Amino acid sequence: MARRSNAEHAYVVAYDISDPKRWRRVFKTMKGYGRWLQLSVFHCRLDGGRRAEMASALEDLIDRDADHVIILDLGPAEDVEFAVESLGKSFQPIERRAVVI
Amino acid sequence: MSSSDTRSDPPAGSAPGQDALGQNLSDQGAAAPARPAARQGELALFAPPAAADEMLAPARMINEWVYCPRLAVLEWGRGEWAGNADTAAGRRAHKATETGAAPALPEPDALPDDRALKTRRLLLASERLGLTAELDVIEADDGRVVPVDIKTGKRPHVAEGAYLPERVQVCVQALLLREAGYTCEEAALWFADSRERVRVELTDELIATALGAASDLRLTVAAGRLPPPLDHSQKCVRCSLLPICLPDEVNWFRKGAIARTPPPAATPALPLYVQTPGARVTKKDFTLVVQVEGEADRAVALDEVSELVLAGPVSLTTPAVHELLRRDVPVAWMSSGFWYLGSTGGQGPRSATVRTAQYALAADEPRRLAFARELVAAKIRNSRTILRRNWRGEDGERGPLLDRLALLADRTARAETAAALLGLEGEAAALYFRALPKLFTDAVAALPAFAFERRNRRPPADPVNACLSLIYAVLTRTFSSAISVAGLDPWKGVYHAERPGRPALALDLIEPFRPVLADSAVLMALNNGELAPDDFVSAAGGCNLKPKARRALIAAYERRLDQETTHPAFGYQVSMRRLIQIQARLFARFVCGEIPRYPHYVPR
Repeated sequence: MARRSNAEHAYVVAYDISDPKRWRRVFKTMKGYGRWLQLSVFHCRLDGGRRAEMASALEDLIDRDADHVIILDLGPAEDVEFAVESLGKSFQPIERRAVVI
Repeated sequence: MSSSDTRSDPPAGSAPGQDALGQNLSDQGAAAPARPAARQGELALFAPPAAADEMLAPARMINEWVYCPRLAVLEWGRGEWAGNADTAAGRRAHKATETGAAPALPEPDALPDDRALKTRRLLLASERLGLTAELDVIEADDGRVVPVDIKTGKRPHVAEGAYLPERVQVCVQALLLREAGYTCEEAALWFADSRERVRVELTDELIATALGAASDLRLTVAAGRLPPPLDHSQKCVRCSLLPICLPDEVNWFRKGAIARTPPPAATPALPLYVQTPGARVTKKDFTLVVQVEGEADRAVALDEVSELVLAGPVSLTTPAVHELLRRDVPVAWMSSGFWYLGSTGGQGPRSATVRTAQYALAADEPRRLAFARELVAAKIRNSRTILRRNWRGEDGERGPLLDRLALLADRTARAETAAALLGLEGEAAALYFRALPKLFTDAVAALPAFAFERRNRRPPADPVNACLSLIYAVLTRTFSSAISVAGLDPWKGVYHAERPGRPALALDLIEPFRPVLADSAVLMALNNGELAPDDFVSAAGGCNLKPKARRALIAAYERRLDQETTHPAFGYQVSMRRLIQIQARLFARFVCGEIPRYPHYVPR
């Protein structure tokens, strides 16, 4: 069962969806939870509540027999050391700061 | 049983040690062990049937009353709610079991004897009992029904199979089924994480506890009483209402015990500011999209927005407003100069209790003056602190100035009228602002554009005054939102007189924060070189920031809000952002008379 805490963790969410219509819905939903990293891969920074909501939203969308979503927990968002080698484009961990436009 | 008797005492007949969560007997009041094991001559008198306009107590709230009476009254009597990881997990567990057939439950005499029936989500109510419940699952077999309540988490390993609050909740459901004419001999709990079912026996003791709790809850809410918080309880740590209830902070006033850790902010979301003229904010799927001509669209996840701040000619679509209202995210409407015009949504608890108490305080002249004295003293002390910490002028000038400000702060205690206080405040402000340029770095002080003689406004005449005006307006907005969420009315002040269009309470509460948050953010932006002389435009005797400079200054202010500080009263570390939320809640507690004074934020 998922971690249940109010502290924010960093996540990588990757999915394989067999049906293009469902894939599109999953992609749109994930935009509400994180940053699009690559095809079918999102980078998220979530507290326990949003993490549970995300899992629940995805559960509603996917076909359990045909699709697969994995949620990788990278650890507490403030303290985690991102041991990431990024070739080509750069990878930036999500920072929490107010957006002023 | 007397109605003033709180449920924290073990119910008659239950053995000591079996109450509530079992592990937390020490929470149940220090008096509990001293109480004789058996009470005599007690009659179980339950609350009378509910009248037409009375609320029926929901089974879930009776669970909460047994868990923590204050939690139940805050949620049910005061309309407060907050979610956390556990409530989200609970929703998920319910959703997973809600799928499947939900046939109508036949009448009691039409229940089939020969086959089992299962249905979901049934609403029951009884005015005679004064109770209502939403039943997750009802199983019928052999003419008997069993209510099953779905719980997230694992089955606890206790003798009764489950903790008392959950057993009481499902017992209420069973009583409502009996009231509706069904034969119900037992109830059950389903623990979703460990996938275990626990049978709940409907003993006379459990029924008496449930009915007693229900009547206590109804009577307490009807009397408008808020039970005291639990004392250093393990229950508080995971309670979603912790940031609203403030158990340790309220207890600090009674016992002086240091609070454990600051209550978490409800969500890690942050404000989203849109102040570029002509920008358009729309909703797309689960994000807000900000479109600015000539720039790429910016999408921000709706969950990450704690508040949408729109300044000047910025448009917002109706679907976006609907979604923000649904999520209880306030929209702050401001003029181009960040004058606070009002808010949409995010109006706090669904009750007027706090506001009623606020108006009573505002009408109580002596209490009002006492509050104003401490407020002005805190403001003067904080401006003195900013001068002391950031002084870059000559050493000889500093000492006498600080002494003078300390003297003025002390004098507030003897001020006999609001006018006298205003005089002291004005004198301190004049001293403070005259000294403000002594806090600039040499590089900033050398720029003639950033010369600062005195504070002026409407319109601000020079860049430094323009920065101060902008940040004071943004600070007012931050507080207006925080106090609305705490159930207070921003338009009715205690120290500031009421004037149309003036959020007087926000202006009151920001006084001590002006130097430490606003002025220090302006100093930070200036001294770091984030603002340059050509970031400003002057016209018609006034000076204003260009959009890019505004963005930089607001970003500096928001960075300042994320800095950590030590709460002077409670001793824990918090970000300034959380501190503001805590102070607003504390002010609400003070207004309601739950704590004897409002502890101002006066850092060392």
